Amino acid sequence: MLRFIVRRVLVAVPVLLGLSIILFMFLRLLPGGGPAEAILGQHATPQLVAQITAVEGLDRPLYVQYFEYLGRLLHGDFGASFIDGREVAATFLVRFPATIELTIGALIFAVGLGIPLGRLAARHPNGWIDGIVTVISLFGISIPVFVLGYTLAFFFGVELHWLPTFGQLDPRLPINPVTHFAIIDAILAGHWYVADAVSHLILPSIALGTIPFAVFTRITRASVIEVSNEDYVRTARAKGLTDRRVNDRHIMRNAWLPVTTVIGLETGALLAGAVLTETVFDWNGVGSWVVSSIQNHDYIVVQSLILIFAAIFLTVNLIVDIGYAFLNPRIRYS
Amino acid sequence: MATSSGLMIAPTARVSGGLWHDAFRRLRRNKPALVGIFFIAVFVTGAILAPWIAPYGPTVGSLSNNMQGPSLAHLMGTDLQGYDEFSRVLYGARISLTVGVVAVVFGLIGGTTVGAIAGGAGGIVDGVLMRVVDVLLAVPGILLAIGIVAWLGHGEIQIMLAVGVSYSPIFARLLRGSLLALRESDYVIAARSMGASPVRILLRHMLPNALTPLIVQATLAAATAIIDVAGLGFLGLGPGDPRVAEWGEMLTDSSRFLQDAPYLIFFPGAAIVISAVGFNLLGDGLREALDPRLKR
Amino acid sequence: MALLSVRDLLVRFQTHDGTVYAVNGVSFDLDESETLGLVGESGCGKSVTNLAVMRLLPRPAGRIVGGHVYFQDEDLVGLDEAEMRDLRGKEIAMIFQDPMTSLNPVLTIEEQMVETIKAHKKVTGKEARARAIELLAMVGIPEPEPLLRNFPHQFSGGMRQRVMIAMALALEPKLLIADEPTTALDVTIQAQVLELLSRLAADHGTAVILITHDLGVVAGMTRRTNVMYAGFVVESATTANLFAKPSHPYTVGLLHSMPRLDAQPGEPLIPIEGTPPDLRFAPVGCPFAPRCAWRVEACWKEMPTLEPIVATSEVQMTGPLATHRAACWNRPTPEEAAAGRPLRDDFIPAALPIEAPR
Repeated sequence: MLRFIVRRVLVAVPVLLGLSIILFMFLRLLPGGGPAEAILGQHATPQLVAQITAVEGLDRPLYVQYFEYLGRLLHGDFGASFIDGREVAATFLVRFPATIELTIGALIFAVGLGIPLGRLAARHPNGWIDGIVTVISLFGISIPVFVLGYTLAFFFGVELHWLPTFGQLDPRLPINPVTHFAIIDAILAGHWYVADAVSHLILPSIALGTIPFAVFTRITRASVIEVSNEDYVRTARAKGLTDRRVNDRHIMRNAWLPVTTVIGLETGALLAGAVLTETVFDWNGVGSWVVSSIQNHDYIVVQSLILIFAAIFLTVNLIVDIGYAFLNPRIRYS
Repeated sequence: MATSSGLMIAPTARVSGGLWHDAFRRLRRNKPALVGIFFIAVFVTGAILAPWIAPYGPTVGSLSNNMQGPSLAHLMGTDLQGYDEFSRVLYGARISLTVGVVAVVFGLIGGTTVGAIAGGAGGIVDGVLMRVVDVLLAVPGILLAIGIVAWLGHGEIQIMLAVGVSYSPIFARLLRGSLLALRESDYVIAARSMGASPVRILLRHMLPNALTPLIVQATLAAATAIIDVAGLGFLGLGPGDPRVAEWGEMLTDSSRFLQDAPYLIFFPGAAIVISAVGFNLLGDGLREALDPRLKR
Repeated sequence: MALLSVRDLLVRFQTHDGTVYAVNGVSFDLDESETLGLVGESGCGKSVTNLAVMRLLPRPAGRIVGGHVYFQDEDLVGLDEAEMRDLRGKEIAMIFQDPMTSLNPVLTIEEQMVETIKAHKKVTGKEARARAIELLAMVGIPEPEPLLRNFPHQFSGGMRQRVMIAMALALEPKLLIADEPTTALDVTIQAQVLELLSRLAADHGTAVILITHDLGVVAGMTRRTNVMYAGFVVESATTANLFAKPSHPYTVGLLHSMPRLDAQPGEPLIPIEGTPPDLRFAPVGCPFAPRCAWRVEACWKEMPTLEPIVATSEVQMTGPLATHRAACWNRPTPEEAAAGRPLRDDFIPAALPIEAPR
């Protein structure tokens, strides 16, 4: 088992290195000039360009620059934003909790609703419940985050006034940004403020989580149906086990396997989708930061953020793979 | 023929017309797939015939007429600039259709080339190529396309490349997997043992079987492509030409008016959803139709 | 009183292509401790009959549409699911063809065996575990204790089938149904597993239904054998009599299409011409007629019932003196059976009637 983990980690490292090289080159190979011009944008004058080139050492051989860049990365130095001068790492730590909250909220929604629904649909394949679930999941994978986001905001926010549509917390509430996790900060501030934090989380979570929810529904349904037709399920019934036991121990334990893998992949979709969701609902997470950085030509930030997102995604997949090996003895003992 | 039970002179199994013929017939009977084809047809027709059926041009209108609700003159209302929303939705279909479909085509070409080389050559070549694919896959979802557009700049071609590149790993893996499995499959070994040349084996035996999951995946990718292209537009990374109506950009422009003019968001949004639903339905239908062993 | 008494069992499947008439009126008895062979080719209904007995037909497609299954005088067809569950594993057990796919890959052997035991008996985990070790030893697995923690994929095919047998016999059922238990195994292992099955059944007094397509398997193992074709039982006899005096054209065909050690070199194998019938059509007449060399007019019109080949006053359904019965309007004589074809002069098999009612 340990060997399995080590092997998977070793595979991930060159991927990240490769990505860092590509991102490093991305900054050096921008169309419309070199990195100095890109950073300066409209303010580029020959003097400023020369200045920046000297300061950043942009005229040194590429591999030298790359190794310096790599060295800094390994020390946690992701550079500084050109716009506000603050270190990327620092701003990241302030903004990332919001994205985590959103991602977790969406994941809870997607898994909590998708998997039971998939199981339900698989119970009577091609029945009317299955039909409804199929239609729902079809629309689920066809509605982009931003369309659903605004639709939800319109109905529940604008028309019904049930849920807020803007930001993570009511700005009028006296909640101090201690951890930058809205829910934790709200709890720390006391009172029932956490209800406010949660209410701000609901619509964005649904908007972001709907496509993964639909994917989970479909894969769970397919997996349960396939497993239900396996010989060992027939054996389990032949032994006189109750339906409940057959379902939980024999069907679900096996049906979970492909679903687990998909959860890992969909988390990536959630991370990426956070970019859109944070824009729709005005959250100050890392996603909206990516967008604003691109619009501001703050390329150092963009480069670092993509690398960090990839690292997170690879880590999540590694954890999922380990979990999968845990669940599937054929992988564990092979 | 007296091969059936008792006195029944039953027809023998329906004459099979080959994989494609059978698949086509199965598809025809699949109602949801037909609905999907209908949606796609509406979408494509709207896109192609936009210059003729749109009541106005995409940037025709006056400020005095802006923010009107749906009416007979303006089926979907007018936007902030006074442009006719219905016409803009129709013209927007052109962008989504061309950019989306071409992006998938780019992804197919790139992905299948890499996949074919990796699967065909094997060994070190396979290893290196798959590592590159892994690098691309490490950046999740739309973020890869966002990164590439950030690098390349605004424009339709740039979006096509960005979205195409973000899909190519899937196609590469798919084809490579098919080729690897097929190389060891019984009927390929049988063909080899009969002395068929490697090229003939590739063309007549391996390719048709490797092709079908690609076709299904490409159709489903078209649905995602429409969504991703609109997503890029929504984030301000669209074609960038203010004369062009793009659904994602239309949503961004109108997002401030959610309360006053929700129709400006709903109509382009619905257009995206219906197009995506169409391709998803067709993709699901193709998956069922093209898999001869699928138990129904 | 027979342990198991199946009467006029009818099983149909509803599929996209229509109704499949899988079992069309099967009747047989089985005594305690008796071993019955059920022989036939793929699709003849031998497995489906037994799945129906266990009420394990794939839902919702498979249904018992008629007939009775009396087990210890209780009609299983009418029982509700909870009552059937009580019986399954405890009174009637079943083992299947492919032990790799018939065992849950994510559960240990111990877990799968213990759950069987605990489902029907109130025992502690320790007691169940001890019993599992005992059972594994009984099926000839040496040093079973450390193997309990293993998963199915870590065993060989033969070992897995032994585990299945151990699981099936855990609660000392009265009836064990073995559906092609050795088909997926190597020939040398086949013999071992069959021998094990035979010995255990004798030791515990378990009645066994042995389903197979291979006549060679029933030869040493069963006291009686039924031959099935297209959802009907076409011949029923003691195994010895079946081989000595096959009285149905299909049985004759089966015996002649098998290579035999005592055949003369150069003697041709005679395959049965034609293909099995399409079960999507309701049977009219004898289903074997299109392929039968002995057919007469009546064969096209009406399915013959199982009748004793020698007239007798009392029909014995079970036991070593079971009446040899065959369902045929024109039974092959012993000489014809030996020759493999009709020997009567100018006998022409009845032609297909032109008018074919549907």
